[in-house]
Amino acid sequence: MALATMHRVNLAGQAPVATLAALCIFTALMTDRFLTPLNLTNILVQSSIMAVIAIGMTFVIVGGGFDLSVGSTAAFAGCVGTGVMLKAGILLGVVAGIIAGAAVGLANGLVVAVLDVNPFITTLGTMVLVRGLVFLITGGAPVGGEVGLPSAFLAFGTERFLGLHYLVWVPLLLLVALSWMMHATPYGRRVYATGGGREAAYLSGVPVRRVIASTYVWCGALAGIAGIMLAARLQSGQPTAGEFYELTAIAAVVLGGASLHGGEGTLYKSVIGVFIMVVLGNSLNLLNVDSYWQRVAVGAVIIAAAAADRLRHRV
Amino acid sequence: MTVEPLLRAEDIAKSFVATRALDGVSLAVLPGEIHALVGENGAGKSTLIRILSGVHRPDRGAIWVAGRLCQFGSPREAIAAGIATIPQELRLVPSLSVAENIALGDLPVRRRFGVLPAIDRGRMRLEARAVLARLDFAPDPDARVGRLSFAERQLVAIGKALRRRCRVLILDEPTGALETREIERLFAVLATMKTAGVAIIYISHRLEEVIAVADRCTVLRDGRVVAVRERGAYDLADLVHAMTGRAGEPAASSAGEAGEVMLEELGIPDGIVLRRGEVLGLAGLLGSGRDRRVRRLFGAAGEAVQLRLKQRIRRLAHPAAAIAEGIGMVPAERALGLIGNQSVRDNILLPGLRGWRLNNAAGDRLVAELMDLLDIRPRRPELKAAALSGGNQQKVIFAKWLALRAGILLLEEPTQGIDVGAKVQIHALIRDFARRRGSVLLSSSDLAELARLCDGVLALRQGRIAGRLDRDGGLEESRLRQAIGG
Repeated sequence: MALATMHRVNLAGQAPVATLAALCIFTALMTDRFLTPLNLTNILVQSSIMAVIAIGMTFVIVGGGFDLSVGSTAAFAGCVGTGVMLKAGILLGVVAGIIAGAAVGLANGLVVAVLDVNPFITTLGTMVLVRGLVFLITGGAPVGGEVGLPSAFLAFGTERFLGLHYLVWVPLLLLVALSWMMHATPYGRRVYATGGGREAAYLSGVPVRRVIASTYVWCGALAGIAGIMLAARLQSGQPTAGEFYELTAIAAVVLGGASLHGGEGTLYKSVIGVFIMVVLGNSLNLLNVDSYWQRVAVGAVIIAAAAADRLRHRV
Repeated sequence: MTVEPLLRAEDIAKSFVATRALDGVSLAVLPGEIHALVGENGAGKSTLIRILSGVHRPDRGAIWVAGRLCQFGSPREAIAAGIATIPQELRLVPSLSVAENIALGDLPVRRRFGVLPAIDRGRMRLEARAVLARLDFAPDPDARVGRLSFAERQLVAIGKALRRRCRVLILDEPTGALETREIERLFAVLATMKTAGVAIIYISHRLEEVIAVADRCTVLRDGRVVAVRERGAYDLADLVHAMTGRAGEPAASSAGEAGEVMLEELGIPDGIVLRRGEVLGLAGLLGSGRDRRVRRLFGAAGEAVQLRLKQRIRRLAHPAAAIAEGIGMVPAERALGLIGNQSVRDNILLPGLRGWRLNNAAGDRLVAELMDLLDIRPRRPELKAAALSGGNQQKVIFAKWLALRAGILLLEEPTQGIDVGAKVQIHALIRDFARRRGSVLLSSSDLAELARLCDGVLALRQGRIAGRLDRDGGLEESRLRQAIGG
């Protein structure tokens, strides 16, 4: 019996990788345009921004929360970052963008952890509120469009380093550093413990409010980094950028095996979840599936992932 | 006795992942009979009740209601067959009215204009009044249930069962939260239902009550029926002997003279004082505020508390501060002591997390040592805590505090709902902890446990300490019961 449970755990743990592999094999067999260098590079670049957001989302979901505001936060950070960049240079611009994102996260975290407001409602509120702020500060126009952002920043959005786009290096480095933090530091263990059982963690001496608030700060700061990356890719700070990113990110995290009940989830598996979403979209495109049907398919995948989460917990 | 039993269960067996909860239990309840079901925690009472009320399916055995063979697939089917259960935690909707709660699940409907179904509120109120009148209870049928006292809500729950024409009524610890006057009223209600021919299964830890009210009594131990006695054919000592299988476990040899004061609760007149090497009991009925008193000492009662710890005054505002002072707590709800979806290892090491880096090798060694010491099975630190049996989970919670080398343990119901073998091990652990000069505050509703383990027992009534009983004066269950007003 012990052997059987071990096998089940292992299989369940490998489900995201297996799904991704199956999807890739299926698409490669159906069309020869999938395994071209250009297409694969495209997938990597498309995944990179979403991967950064999904890493942040994993912090929040593992901590037992939820964040709908990441798309708006990314746009906010992109516009603030490019705005500062025009006046004060690349470095200060990037820092300002990340701080803007972290500030939204801190606001979310304080409302959720200290005022005990439901995270779904809180971040639904900030999602709308922050998007409103973006339009207020930009007047609805792209930032840096005509004037032109610093060329080094624009190069960051298009050029490669050691054969990989700079945009792909960002999630790669973040993934290595933050995975280490989640697994090798007491802080990481506390996040898992808090998400797994808030009251039990509190009674074990974990400062649960601080931990919960911190997960939203991570999520906001990473959404800020994603916003800067997005601005580099779009060559400007776009007030409408990042719409529906929250849904894709949450779907990716759940596809990666994180539990919406908290306490379970791994950063790299969330990134695999992102690849599943991106490859799915890419595959449907290559197979010339109607874009309306693509939406139906993506929605169905999200529900299937959540249902699988429920089924795992019923046993 | 030629009366046909209203409820008959034959040879019921049920196993859960790690434990065999019931092993061939049979039970027959006659119409108009109050049949008591007693046994220690973990003897199988709750499992049997859950099977009778359709929550669990038995692995083996059969149930007849009024001579008809029944197989319940859900609680709904058990209710339809006439079996109503009144659990300790009443399942009423506080925001609905008395009449609505009584009608819930089977609302009286009338057809508006011949087609539209609408709730017949007039009939609903009338029916509520009628069933509650049979219980000699006349609340406003429109009053919200949330505003009633526990005793009144219990009557509403019984009324609901009556309306569904229950033939078998199962009461799980019905007097746990009642005052003496309310208990008398409940007994009067039970007498009425008896004369109406309802078969009543009465589960209680309060053996005196069982002796007073039950026509027959079935004793469970380790998932088997060990005795069935007729009214008047048994006394308290018989029951205890049947339940525990011992004439009375030898009392704990006192750990020697108590040492210096380790913990003193300041700021309130009846502060708790805990000495080195002492096991101090905390006894009190449900609602006497035991939980609150224990949590207060752990800084988990929502207010800061002042304690004198080894001569130094400390202010504890949250559990982290208490843990830093070497205080550990084992909460009554295991879900609060343990994080089910984290590994055994992570659970054990959680209170001791410090600094910026984890020392994995040292952590693994400590966990392996503690799992050996406490005999936590299986010896797989990577297993999720939820996969362990209740007794092993409880040992993991103890291991958390031993890993920290806590000097003071605050225990709430440490052996509730765990099997007898694990209970013995936990008891040994508690004594051993005290013998190694640790201090234990043991809050328990199991008076036999307190009598067996403690050097002294504080009796709690309405949140206040009403007195202290010491081993010198004798710590028999009956004396404890008297002290807490049971």
